[in-house]
Amino acid sequence: MSLWHTLNEYWESVTDSTYVFAREIKRVFTDSGVMIIFVVATLAYPIIYKTMYFNERIQDIPVAVVDLSHSSESRMFLHQWNASPDVRLTHTCQSMAEAENLLRDQKVHGIIYFPRDFASQLADPLGQAHISLYCDMSSFLYMKGIYLSCNQVMLESMRNIQIDRYEDMGMDKEFAWALVQDAPYTDTALFAPTGGYGSFLIPAVLMLILHQTLLFGICMLAGTAREEDKIVYRVIGRRRSLGVMRLVIGRALAYFAIYYVLAAIVVGWYPRLFDLPHIGNIWDIMRFNVPYILATIFFSMCVSLFIRNRESGLVLLISTSLVFIFMAGVSWPKEMIPEPWQWVACLLPYTFGVHGYIHINSMGATLSQVSFEYIALWQQALLYFVIYSTVMYIADWRSEKKKQAAEAISGTSL
Amino acid sequence: MNTILHTIWLVMLRELKRLVSRPLYLVASVGVMAVCTFFFLTLLKGGSAEKMPVAIVDQDQSSISQRLIHEMQATPSVDIRIVTNDYAEARDAMQKGHVYGIFVMHEGFYRDLVSFKRPQLDFYVTNAYTVGGNTAYKQMLTIVNLTSGAFQREVLRKKGLPDDVIMHRIQPLAIEGHMIANPWGNYSIYLVSTILPGILGLICMMLTIFVIGYELKMHTAHEWMNVARNNFTIAILGKLTPYTVIYTLLGVVCHFVLYDYVGFPVHGSHVRLMFGLLLFIFAMEALGVLMITLLPALRDALSIGALYAMLGFSLSGFTYPNMSMLAPVKALSYIEPLRHYYLIYVNEALMGAPSINSLPYSMALMAFVLLALLASPRLKRILINDQMMDVE
Repeated sequence: MSLWHTLNEYWESVTDSTYVFAREIKRVFTDSGVMIIFVVATLAYPIIYKTMYFNERIQDIPVAVVDLSHSSESRMFLHQWNASPDVRLTHTCQSMAEAENLLRDQKVHGIIYFPRDFASQLADPLGQAHISLYCDMSSFLYMKGIYLSCNQVMLESMRNIQIDRYEDMGMDKEFAWALVQDAPYTDTALFAPTGGYGSFLIPAVLMLILHQTLLFGICMLAGTAREEDKIVYRVIGRRRSLGVMRLVIGRALAYFAIYYVLAAIVVGWYPRLFDLPHIGNIWDIMRFNVPYILATIFFSMCVSLFIRNRESGLVLLISTSLVFIFMAGVSWPKEMIPEPWQWVACLLPYTFGVHGYIHINSMGATLSQVSFEYIALWQQALLYFVIYSTVMYIADWRSEKKKQAAEAISGTSL
Repeated sequence: MNTILHTIWLVMLRELKRLVSRPLYLVASVGVMAVCTFFFLTLLKGGSAEKMPVAIVDQDQSSISQRLIHEMQATPSVDIRIVTNDYAEARDAMQKGHVYGIFVMHEGFYRDLVSFKRPQLDFYVTNAYTVGGNTAYKQMLTIVNLTSGAFQREVLRKKGLPDDVIMHRIQPLAIEGHMIANPWGNYSIYLVSTILPGILGLICMMLTIFVIGYELKMHTAHEWMNVARNNFTIAILGKLTPYTVIYTLLGVVCHFVLYDYVGFPVHGSHVRLMFGLLLFIFAMEALGVLMITLLPALRDALSIGALYAMLGFSLSGFTYPNMSMLAPVKALSYIEPLRHYYLIYVNEALMGAPSINSLPYSMALMAFVLLALLASPRLKRILINDQMMDVE
């Protein structure tokens, strides 16, 4: 009898959860607003981002030249610099004022200036020649492109000058080379061979898109349920504790089923399709997605407790997308983020999700190398599941008590 | 005239009651803006990325490699997290996100160095994190140049040359870098100056869509129009004035926080910069009106509006310059008000350019307002037909 009872209850919880699951799937697919966010935005946004950052790196930044030395040395320098892909010497100016005007009008984004004594300082065995470089700071990528490429040319020409001078001192060429560059170096950029901006940013944006569309969609569904005051998010079944479980798990699994497929497309297939970095093992990514999506679902369900209207979630939470991507320490390195914000960031599934994903997908880490992030996501999933279930349990208990009280009052009045 | 003003006042009064009836409106505007301002100003307090963790692989284990490591550890701009003789260990640390760069000294480094055989140094940086990787790259360049300079100095000293002569031998050519309007290379100035106004514009647009769309959704538009005596202009003026006042105040506060309290430099005119910000806010508000006019279902207008405005942050070109985008994408950036505000900001705050340079962008922002006005007859029809229209 007791065994039968247990089995029966077990079976009931499966059918109840299945019922909640099917109902939630139907709610998602019949709601055009949620479908725009869940499916259209999730699938289309990455394509837009890939198009925006299609050129990966900035090339041919226009630069103005002010050469007061009029020397063959400066011309040589400019010739070498112009050959680098980053810059293009578009204007030759007679004075700094003229070049400054060009910069001000955004015709150029940098100025290189050779003083009158440039060549004579180089010719003087004890002299030091100076080049002035002015960078437009309206985008950091201008500065990076201009400064690094100019530095490269400078180091190259500096070595040649040094060797000439040492040779003049009577050293032999080989010894002079060994002295000038005692230990030559090779620099290798790992993981994103093109070194492009898109290769770096888009993987982080892909994970953000999954996180934010889930957040907005779940808030929209919860807000709609509140508005319509349907009983969809009420507890079903006889025993409250089991009922809450069935409701929460049934709903979460519905979102999970949809998002597991979407994640396979967005963070699994898209990087391969768009030729973004994808050196990770696809099955490691898919296994990593399990706790990421679950944690995001339960996190979003907790946030949705505060949402009263179908649309208010989007109005309130839209700017979180910018906050989250910076707080996670992607575009701004996490080492430079003040500690209190790092603690707040630990509450977000995105923080662990994005680093784990970049490590696997872009840097070829295995799942065991991202075990820290993987475990943290499971902990978050558990934490938010418990919080949401507890709130639902208390809410149900209170509404039932109210109902009983109301019944008691109507009973006495009868 | 008096009756018109009175009617506008009545509509405004109705709107103010709605505004305070639930916390959403003030939380979504003032609250969100306050939180974001606090967040972005404290997030980037350091201003520039300086010390990124790197790993050193010392396969040589010689006295000179050890001394080099000690010197590097003493260099303030370098943060050495791991010293190992195993490259695999360093690579593992990089894949786990602990370090951004690896510096390798191969076996035989010392032997080759003293016999002038120019031993090879290798360094690896991660490109998966752009800022972290770049900073690590710069650090390792510093390390290499320090090494090289120190070695030359030793050899030249042994040859009996005085120090000042040596200095010019080692560095016969130097670049003086000048970072226009941001001489500290402060990342905060460049990022916050565009992102905070951008968020404010986003808020203005979303909330404007919401306050008009909510009337349509709840089918209260006829009640609103009744208060406005069925005068569309009065209805819109009365409804949007309270919000416009809030947005304007937020814009003014935002300007003063950035350029007065925090003290970001402004090389041009404060007034014109603030004027540009207000124009941007109005443009975003107009865009909100336009969205709900074209998509009279609240949820569609909000979803599409959000997608549209979020793209503005990338299309404005403040992170990834506009000049490197594909031509169609570049064209698309002109329909993002944030792009125009960013260009005004560059002119006024960074370049100190004459006002004529910003004029086209100010006019573009005004064009958004004009566009909303041109589309307003459609909104008028929607409002008047609200009872008959099936918006939901």
